[in-house]
Amino acid sequence: MDIVSEHRLRNDLAETRQIGGWVETFAQRAGLKPEVRNAIDLALIECVTNVISYAWNDSKEHWITVRLRASPGEVRVEVSDDGREFNPLTVPPVDMTQPLERREPGGLGVHMMRQRMEAVEYRREDGRNIVTMKKRTGEAVSL
Amino acid sequence: MPITRKALPDGLELFVSGRIDGAAANELEIQVLEAIRSGAKTVYINLAEASFLCSAGLRVLLQYWRQMKGAGKSLRVANPSPEVNSVLTMTGFRDQMVEGAS
Repeated sequence: MDIVSEHRLRNDLAETRQIGGWVETFAQRAGLKPEVRNAIDLALIECVTNVISYAWNDSKEHWITVRLRASPGEVRVEVSDDGREFNPLTVPPVDMTQPLERREPGGLGVHMMRQRMEAVEYRREDGRNIVTMKKRTGEAVSL
Repeated sequence: MPITRKALPDGLELFVSGRIDGAAANELEIQVLEAIRSGAKTVYINLAEASFLCSAGLRVLLQYWRQMKGAGKSLRVANPSPEVNSVLTMTGFRDQMVEGAS
């Protein structure tokens, strides 16, 4: 049986402080190894931070939904929001050949999502951006 | 996220514990700025006890690494924890920023 965890947070960077605790609790329930937990933690914070920073250009309160699902052999992380259409996969890759003196500061968050998760997918559905990230765990889900 | 300071003959070392998430990156920036304004020639950011480093923290490190370098001074990361080291390596920051890496 899959382990599922769903959360909502407001579009306020201070709200991202909750993410570490959500991921830790989920990882314990699902019996995830530390490296998998750390990967989800980082990718999720980066994804949510990007949504909060770029999805809306008003001063209103908006909500972001986070869903974590652990199935046998895989963890899936889904982040959805009702902000303007934005596909993080269109962000240019970080140019790692550039020395730090010449590096562009942008794109690091998406880079880390791609590095830590094996698949990052995007779709736009019913006026919502939906980013799905997957990581293999190579282990059975604990009950 | 506790940050403690230690004076060194050539500068200052900041010891950062815990998660460097978005909000903590702002605190780190304040401490780094104070260290720079104190006139330190070298600022070490000791991340042995930092359990997490996100892109907001990396941007603070990059911004002030560049600023110090431009002023003929130095900002270095010292003793990164395994998780922080992994992030610095993944983003290509390690070789130029970590003390003793290159």
